[in-house]
Amino acid sequence: MRLLAAAAFALLLASCAGTRSAAPPARPVANAPVLLPVPSDPTVSFSLSFPAGSQMDPPGKEGLAYLTATLMAEGATARNSYAAILEQLYPMAAGYQVRVDVEQVTFTGRVHRDNLTAFTDLLLDAILRPAFAADDLERLRQRALAHLTRTLRYSSDEELGKAALYTAVFAGTPYGHLPVGTVAGLKAISVNDVQRFYRTHYTRNTVTLGLGGGFDDGLPRRLLAALAQLPAGAPPLPPPPAVSLRGRQVVIVAKPGPATAISFGFPIRVRRGQDDFYPLWVANSWFGEHRHSSSHLYQVIREARGLNYGDYSYIEHFPEAGWRTMPPVNVPRRQQLFEVWIRPVPNTAAHFALRAAVRELEKLVAEGLDENAFALTRDFLASYSLHYADTTATRLGYAVDDRFYGIAPPGHLVRFRQRLATMTREEVNAAVGRHLNPQHMVIAIVTERAGELAAALASEADSPITYDTPKPPQVLAEDALIARHPLRIPRERIRIVPVDELFER
Amino acid sequence: MHLKVALPMVLLTLAAAALAGVFPYRYASHTLANGLTVILVPMPAEGLVAYYSIVRTGSRDEVEPGRSGFAHFFEHMMFRGTERVPAGEYDRLVTAMGANANAYTTDDYTCYHLSFAAKDLPRVVELEADRFQNLAYSQQDFQTEAGAVYGEYRKGRTNPFEVLEEALRDTAFEVHTYKHTTIGFEADIAAMPGMLDYSRSFFTRHYRPDNVVILITGELDPAATLALVRKHYEGWQPGYRPPQVPAEPQQRAPRRVQVPYQGRTLPLLAVTWKAPAFDPADVEVAAGLALGELLAGPTSSLYRELVLHRRTVQRLLGQFEAQRDPGLWGVIAQVAGDEHLEEVEAAIIDAIAEVQDHAPPEEQLQAIKRHLRYSFLMSLETPDRLAGELARTVALTGGVEAVDTFFATLERVTPAAVQRLAAARLRPERSTVAVLKGVE
Repeated sequence: MRLLAAAAFALLLASCAGTRSAAPPARPVANAPVLLPVPSDPTVSFSLSFPAGSQMDPPGKEGLAYLTATLMAEGATARNSYAAILEQLYPMAAGYQVRVDVEQVTFTGRVHRDNLTAFTDLLLDAILRPAFAADDLERLRQRALAHLTRTLRYSSDEELGKAALYTAVFAGTPYGHLPVGTVAGLKAISVNDVQRFYRTHYTRNTVTLGLGGGFDDGLPRRLLAALAQLPAGAPPLPPPPAVSLRGRQVVIVAKPGPATAISFGFPIRVRRGQDDFYPLWVANSWFGEHRHSSSHLYQVIREARGLNYGDYSYIEHFPEAGWRTMPPVNVPRRQQLFEVWIRPVPNTAAHFALRAAVRELEKLVAEGLDENAFALTRDFLASYSLHYADTTATRLGYAVDDRFYGIAPPGHLVRFRQRLATMTREEVNAAVGRHLNPQHMVIAIVTERAGELAAALASEADSPITYDTPKPPQVLAEDALIARHPLRIPRERIRIVPVDELFER
Repeated sequence: MHLKVALPMVLLTLAAAALAGVFPYRYASHTLANGLTVILVPMPAEGLVAYYSIVRTGSRDEVEPGRSGFAHFFEHMMFRGTERVPAGEYDRLVTAMGANANAYTTDDYTCYHLSFAAKDLPRVVELEADRFQNLAYSQQDFQTEAGAVYGEYRKGRTNPFEVLEEALRDTAFEVHTYKHTTIGFEADIAAMPGMLDYSRSFFTRHYRPDNVVILITGELDPAATLALVRKHYEGWQPGYRPPQVPAEPQQRAPRRVQVPYQGRTLPLLAVTWKAPAFDPADVEVAAGLALGELLAGPTSSLYRELVLHRRTVQRLLGQFEAQRDPGLWGVIAQVAGDEHLEEVEAAIIDAIAEVQDHAPPEEQLQAIKRHLRYSFLMSLETPDRLAGELARTVALTGGVEAVDTFFATLERVTPAAVQRLAAARLRPERSTVAVLKGVE
């Protein structure tokens, strides 16, 4: 019996029945579809994305985008109860899910082509005819509230640390609350709010259809004709959040627990598709490739010192990092963070581990990659990036994200591999110099020793590390440097937040 | 050599699959003179290959007191290099080829896997053969890795599902090694740095060719690949001696455990029973999987009532897969609040009584069978996913044949068989209930 599977239990499923056979619509869907035919694939992958993410939440209704989308994916339609929808999907072993991020909402699904027509009917019904039933709203609202107040606050310190980082960095901007919303916002949302949000944001002018796998020409035609029944309209997007950090600031989330989770980061002025993104990707891969022992941080903190289970860095949003090995799709953002994730360390080693990670980042900025590190990382990524999109559904996800970023075919991953062929170490280090400045950052720490750690950070007290087991002399010599490495964080820039105050509003 | 012929997946519909056998690829299985089993599954894969080394040892094999968690710890040590290829060099080579490489440990087996470009297959065979035969690590490496394992344990302590599982197993089992989780008891993890000698004996006893299956999938030439494997592995000396895993005595009274969790998490309820051991030809095993879907799947009456209607449960999960030895089956509920625990437990018991009293409708059972077949077929997209899907079956049975055997057995499951199974297995005196509640 493996209870761990329960911990990673997928959030979602959903939807419903038969498409309309209405007269041809007067106006078609505005966006051309993203089509990725793979005739040999016995399955078909679907993607329907809308710029209806949490940045569009009205003030005081944080969570409206999330509840609207999840009601479509996991609620009744005008034709079927949600239980009836599940009854129909179950024998196909098919389903559709929705991912709600700050910018985009993306419905995805996959079905064996034996069941293509029935599945398509259900998916379209969910998108075109959601019922927004009051009891479904209560069910999903309760789940969202429990996620914030019980799961995030008390059942995963790693995710909690990252959430605390995002909300602190983007406070006061449309990115400043989690996509799921806030406790007060979720409680304030009515069925009328949801219906209004749906009518405004789910339009034929904003939808992007994606299809991958073994479909024929009739399927996109049928889907586009159906989606043309959505109303018109294209609400303006808010500008990307303008965040300018000054110096270092710390948020310590006080909660009981046997270990300390640490995340830190800062906004970067580069994103996928822009020239500097690709050399910065190489630098980040060397510094902290996700869940890979090639990560330099991993080598320093875990491999040499055994302080925790792993240490990684990111230049794009990477949700569910604890149980995902490859980057996700459908979380595109106009504003990204550079982010470091230090998995839980013993409470007594928190100050030391933070110093070690910050020091390594400062060294990266000051010294850059040497030729060996650059060449190894370049060669690694040329092949490793093939694993990022090894299925039709994932390739479709990348293609849909390319549309968001304005990247022309053959797309982001191919472009990256082409760019690698001519990239130089100087370009990589120049990109690091332009975009990574560790003097200005937010540090989020989840620990039960909040006051003690705040005092230690502010006083720059030495944080010597001791091990239960012997370590090589070079490690011990470096430890002495790490233990007194200055972090330069005055006490007034250290804020202690009781865990129950997080995500309230 | 055993060669199985099947249709390529692209031609399959479910009806065809039912006629031809579910597993959709040709494969070749060969056993070397030293007992090493090699299974090769060529498939179209855009130039990728997956290489799985499956050691048929897991935490169930940790029979000595104080040694729980060692199979998992040893999984970590397998990345610490050999005399010829030290750890740093292994990492550098794997990194340079851009392989997606990792490992995991379960109750019943330990799996080392790499996914990489087909051109790198000869190098991977050489590297993997070397570390499985010639692993060498220092005391410092050993002790440092023990720290990383402790870090993994600490990470898990903030996950209520892991905390629940630890207490549930400890209560449900008296002597069988399923009593401990794969990561082990904390006291044993804390003591790991002092077990260097034991670790070496663990390697010598369990990492033997007659206890290992190499499963290779993707774009490969079977004959050339087999020759490569033979060249690099045939000098590996056999000598695996299975440990004497103590048999769990018959449970004769219900058991219950309350599990405190530090923090205001949602309560968890696990209602479990002793299960049979895995046997792909056993109708009871196949009926168990169907029973799990029937009790806790998304179309179950419990799901409709508790999750959708009453909203007293946020997540409902059935765990009815059989293990190598008799393990646990169960229904796990993440309950919406402490005040609902009693009601939810009663609803689970009522749902079981319903199956015990009335055979499920034939139509519902057919839907479950279709669901399980399509789930399997749709999970085989890439070499890595195919190998990952097969790994457990290979570990438990030593081969791939069990896939078709199991699905053929599933076809024989009748509503009456499900009812009989529920009546025979899901009995109060064979049950263990664990309730996790958050505390301030």
